[in-house]
Amino acid sequence: MRRALLVASLSLAAGTLTGQTLAPTGVLTVGSTRVRSQSGQFSGAVVGGDGTLSFGRLELAVSYVQGKVDSVGASAAAGGGGHDLVEGSVLLGARPVSWLTIATGPHARSYTLTSGTQRWVFWELRARASGAFIGSAARGYVELWRALSADVNVPESFDHAQGGEAGMIIRFARAPLQARVAYRMDHTVLKSALGGTRLETVDGLMVGFGLDWH
Amino acid sequence: MSRGLFVVALLVCGSEAVGIRPAGAQAAGGSFAQGIREYQNLDFGRAAATLRRDLAKLTAAGAPASERVEGLVYLGAADLFRGRRDSAVAVFKRLVQLDPRYAPDHLVFPPEVTSVFDSVRALTKTVAIVVPPDTQVAPGSSNFSALVLASSFQTVDVTLRYEDGAPFRSLYAGPIGDSLHVLWDGLDAAGQLPPVSRIVLRVASRAPTGEISTILQVPLDLRIQRPDSVDWPAPLPESALLPERAGGRSAVRALLGGIALSGAVVAIPSVVGGSGGPSGSRVAVAGTIGFAGVLGYLLHRPGRSLPANIRVNQTRREAWQQQVAGVTAENARRRAAVRLAVHAGPPSTIQPRAP
Repeated sequence: MRRALLVASLSLAAGTLTGQTLAPTGVLTVGSTRVRSQSGQFSGAVVGGDGTLSFGRLELAVSYVQGKVDSVGASAAAGGGGHDLVEGSVLLGARPVSWLTIATGPHARSYTLTSGTQRWVFWELRARASGAFIGSAARGYVELWRALSADVNVPESFDHAQGGEAGMIIRFARAPLQARVAYRMDHTVLKSALGGTRLETVDGLMVGFGLDWH
Repeated sequence: MSRGLFVVALLVCGSEAVGIRPAGAQAAGGSFAQGIREYQNLDFGRAAATLRRDLAKLTAAGAPASERVEGLVYLGAADLFRGRRDSAVAVFKRLVQLDPRYAPDHLVFPPEVTSVFDSVRALTKTVAIVVPPDTQVAPGSSNFSALVLASSFQTVDVTLRYEDGAPFRSLYAGPIGDSLHVLWDGLDAAGQLPPVSRIVLRVASRAPTGEISTILQVPLDLRIQRPDSVDWPAPLPESALLPERAGGRSAVRALLGGIALSGAVVAIPSVVGGSGGPSGSRVAVAGTIGFAGVLGYLLHRPGRSLPANIRVNQTRREAWQQQVAGVTAENARRRAAVRLAVHAGPPSTIQPRAP
């Protein structure tokens, strides 16, 4: 399945490679992340970066953030401590039309808990629609994704996961710079052997600033 | 008037052309061999009759003046020797009108004849015109030229006239002794190209009394040859110009885009099925995007001046104006290259009626 998706993505854009140039972007991001699950609620700041390399209609996107989330609300009262959060993804995408990008790839997240480290690895299929809405300077985008498969080292079995992100990218006219602000949310459903359901929701604000050679 | 003199008068009135007689024509017999022989045999009566008969034949056949002058000079001499001076003067006068530059050969004709001829020539005020059959004139810069040859000192009016006789342009008015070169620059009196395709070059000879004695005119067919002008460049279409004032589209797109994107941020939890609990981050992002949309609306408000588009349009307009200037210069150059083709027809003589 994963290989099929990769081959499909490559095939989609293979015909448009001739005469294209590389268009890289690199953005430093900071943000806040909130993790909500039935075991508790955590929030904290994360910092990281992401970059894309576009070549014709092909696009390779890499992201990495890390930070520390702390227990809030009832979890904090129960004495939950801070946990390291590391998250990253590698996505290979293609643009069948100028405003739509289809991408696929692994998306990994890990929490360092007192009981050990939880590792979540999703193989995702993403669709992003984008377009300029304030002249040509500001572009808005909406992205939705769904996990095609997952590898999670928790007792429950993986049921499904999906997420979305919406935001705005501002490109400066006289310099290869961009700024962005976005909101994202991932929602994962796990099922226990006893028939129960565990819900895990991660959302957050991302603010970025970086270089853009589009 | 005798019958012979009447025939000569008919010859004189019916003849049309004026030309320069080739030298040496007096020596040849040609059409008048028999009459000349009779003249040389001193049989002047018979010679006169024969010459009149031959002249009548030539005139009826439309022979040019150069072929008739020889017969006329022998006829005049014969009449003179027959004692008919008036008839001889009339013949010589007609001869001078046919060829103002004609002179009897002093080796052939005795002084009695040449002196009478010279006196007739001095009293006969007529001219001949020599024009090239076809001339190309650059109006205003080069000239059509005509050579006016006078029989004797006289006053002439050289004019160009419309076919109906109305004046077109005066070229010369004044005395002429032997010959006169008149020039025409191809333009009318107002300095414009001729509005008609035919005009007449008219030379009016005046008698010492001031009355017009002879009018000689040459029709001139005119043809204006203009190079084709270059078409004006097409006016700049509206589609070639960028809008210099912002329309409402960009503003509305910014506003609606901001609202839609803010809505998408707010709606993400519903779409992905996550917990839709209160989130300051979500509100902050949605608010930022909404604010950006409003700001975009204000920045792109309808009617706002668009300097970049104005500059582009200015460049395009200047390029178009340069094209127009180029075409204008090229057309001016081509206008200056106008040529006037002048074709001269056969000259004709008009004898004013005696009072």
